[in-house]
Amino acid sequence: MNKDVRQQKIDVRYAIAELLSNEKTSKIATPILSILLTLITTAILLLILGSNPITAILGFLRAGGFIPKPSYASNNNMFTDFLLFLGIMAPMLFASLGFIISHKAGLFNIGISGEMLISGFIATLLVGYSDLGPWLAKPLVLLIGMVVGGIVGAITGFLKYKFNIHEVITSIMFNYIINYVTGFFINSYYTNPFTRSSMPASAASRLTITGLKLNGINISIPLSIFIAIAVAFLVNFLLERTVVGLEIKATGLNQDCARYAGINVSKNIIKAMTLSGVLAGLAGVSYYLGYYNTIVPKKLPDIGYDSIAVSILGNSSPLGAIFASALVTIFQNGSTYVSSSTGIAKEVASLITGLLLLFSACNTYIKYRAGKYVREYLDLKNAAVVKTQAASEGGQNINGFGVH
Amino acid sequence: MLGKMDQYIVEMLNITKRFPGVVANDNVTLRIKQGEIFALLGENGAGKSTLMSLLFGLYEPDAGEIIVKGKKVHLSSAKDASKLGIGMVHQHFKLVPDYTIAENIILGDEPKRKLLGLIPYVDIKKANKEIEELSKFYKLEVDPTKLIKDVNVSVQQRVEILKMLYREADILIFDEPTAILTPQEIERLLETMRELRAKGKTIILITHKLEEIKKVADRCAILFQGKLVGVYDVATTSTQKMANLMVGREVVFAQKKEKDNFGEKVLEVKDLSVLNADKFEVVKNVSFSIRGGEIFAIAGVAGNGQVEIADAIAGLIKINKGKVFLKGKDITDYPIRDRLLEGISYIPEDRQKTGVILDFPLYFNLAIKNYFQKPFSEKGVLNQTVIKQFAQKLISKYDIRCGQAEMTLLRSMSGGNQQKAIVAREIEQNSALLIFVQPTRGLDIGAIENIHRRILEEREKGKAILLISLELDEIMKLADTIGVIYNGELLKIAPAKDFTINEVGQFMMGVKGA
Repeated sequence: MNKDVRQQKIDVRYAIAELLSNEKTSKIATPILSILLTLITTAILLLILGSNPITAILGFLRAGGFIPKPSYASNNNMFTDFLLFLGIMAPMLFASLGFIISHKAGLFNIGISGEMLISGFIATLLVGYSDLGPWLAKPLVLLIGMVVGGIVGAITGFLKYKFNIHEVITSIMFNYIINYVTGFFINSYYTNPFTRSSMPASAASRLTITGLKLNGINISIPLSIFIAIAVAFLVNFLLERTVVGLEIKATGLNQDCARYAGINVSKNIIKAMTLSGVLAGLAGVSYYLGYYNTIVPKKLPDIGYDSIAVSILGNSSPLGAIFASALVTIFQNGSTYVSSSTGIAKEVASLITGLLLLFSACNTYIKYRAGKYVREYLDLKNAAVVKTQAASEGGQNINGFGVH
Repeated sequence: MLGKMDQYIVEMLNITKRFPGVVANDNVTLRIKQGEIFALLGENGAGKSTLMSLLFGLYEPDAGEIIVKGKKVHLSSAKDASKLGIGMVHQHFKLVPDYTIAENIILGDEPKRKLLGLIPYVDIKKANKEIEELSKFYKLEVDPTKLIKDVNVSVQQRVEILKMLYREADILIFDEPTAILTPQEIERLLETMRELRAKGKTIILITHKLEEIKKVADRCAILFQGKLVGVYDVATTSTQKMANLMVGREVVFAQKKEKDNFGEKVLEVKDLSVLNADKFEVVKNVSFSIRGGEIFAIAGVAGNGQVEIADAIAGLIKINKGKVFLKGKDITDYPIRDRLLEGISYIPEDRQKTGVILDFPLYFNLAIKNYFQKPFSEKGVLNQTVIKQFAQKLISKYDIRCGQAEMTLLRSMSGGNQQKAIVAREIEQNSALLIFVQPTRGLDIGAIENIHRRILEEREKGKAILLISLELDEIMKLADTIGVIYNGELLKIAPAKDFTINEVGQFMMGVKGA
């Protein structure tokens, strides 16, 4: 009996290892394992701090509108929360798509935060403070976001191509410049004296339609999330199925070979940085002119940095980024609610994001270990089959494997 | 020395090692005697390097056992191997370019002293002295204070050997040590090996060059597709027999070359001058032309500007002065892609760095020169079916061996098959001009034979071929016309039949008017 149980355990372990190492399934299985490891580690840390990890997780899910909260403000319910969650997930998704494109070209765009801020700022000035109607204002906001983000990205790429200035340096500098220049203008000309942030943009220009009622419940419709998901599929198509994508990836993996094959490497560096900026711009407008309608001066959005974790968690795949950004947003979005309702520090959200990044970065290693386990298991199994004359001996061999 | 010959210093018994999709070593048993030069012979992918990596602790065997100096050992890292006195010179050196020779040698095992009895520091003076003595003793002269980046590859290799000797290794593994050396340097290395043997070291030599084995080795083990064919006494086994056993079939050393039938001028290079990154003129006023059906070979010692000529024609480096004409058209100022489309195929010197993208699957690598054209893509969208079918066609036509067909990552293929893939791709471009730079470097006999046959086939199809090689034998065998380069200048251009191998060798050394 005992033997059977042990055998079953080994079979389960083998099945998991197979899932983790197999080319097809590992892309999904390893991120899931990273998530589980993150949750377990967080739980242990919370227990040490004397908090209940279950309450914390439930709190995050409640804040995101996945499960009902114990009580709601008047005319709000779970659906209200869920739509808000989608509204803040959209910029996260856009930003991580932007990071993925630069990453595929072998570039590291750490300037997403700055690109978000400047495109949000300029779109607010040009459209948010105008009296254009929604049918004109919303497309214009998207367009301005793309153009402004794209220009900043293109400059970063151009400086790399022309003067060989590393894109990380340029984008960090841009982050500072954009942060303080926009901060100066907001504080000097556009500040709202009560909130100390910029004056609100018009409802017509926002990518989230607010103030709606459904059966008497307050709802807001984040148009940005629909666009973001569509763009994720578009980026995936671009990278996997098109000439442009192939050239960007070839440039990222081996510049020497790309050049040898006749690909214009400089053009592709600029192209990738521009596209990355365009997507960061979309993240910016869906953040400052969607989820919010105002800009806090001298503060870069955290999303620009969190998007790096999201991209890695999603295996640098645009479709993976949809799930990864949903997950990271659950934690980032829920931190305030969790801290106010349970007393667990807000910083737990950032802790979880950090752990996710850490474990995701171990994906290749996990896959390698699992692959090794599978091979060893199969070897022993083969050895056992060979020893047909003593079946029981073979069985012992396999059983002994767990200790190996 | 002879008394010890019967003792086995290394025994590898029934070793099996698997990688996804391949059995790299299948039940291999080797017994190596103390103080002998033991050669390991086999084609690329035959499992030689894997077997030695097992002995060096880089991998662990799936089955079998390793006995070193009479004791069963379990090697799980290079450190373990090092403790047992096993050292390895890898094909690609592992040296820090900005450190001196002495610093590289002592790295990880530094002689230390304490300043004022307290603060530890590395006693570099002592190291320099020790290394000088060591290098004299083994006749491996180096200047310990020179920086690695300032010395050439053969000196770097000596540093790698000294690194092992400094750690008192007595089992020395050499992985394809001659692949990067010139003929003179090879002679010198073989002499070093004999010297080391005389001093009682055991040497394991991984190679596929039969002449070298003939020259230095005592015994040789032949591997074929992961299995041990046998262990032979080098003195009593003919080169032809070794070659056949290694390739698993009859090898044709001399290939038939059709009579020449030259067509029109395809490539013309006029007064070409090229500067390197330091603005130094590495190609000086080079002029030559190649006709259809002609193999024009540039012979020369490495680093005399021959690779720059190829790069300049293909557009990879800027032309300083002079003109390049292809089929009568001036392509001097064309961007790279336009040149390729005009009819240039290029097999580059460094296949892994330039020729392929290691992390792309085979089918993308095979299509990297065509993906933007119809029918590979239309309106910017790739046609995966066409690209994959093209890859399948090339895989079978050129006998490219790969574990997972067209989906195989280039990284997981052997060097010979990577080269076959590049050659397949470039020949399929059907260009008027084919440039081959060191096409058989580091390849085994089977693969060399295959690539030589392809080059001759292209010649018969009337293609103009520029062959740049460091192997004189290869040049003498294939070329119709030979140009000898020395210090960036083409010293002499003449039909191959007017040259003897010695004359070419003299021009290569810069002796004018020989």
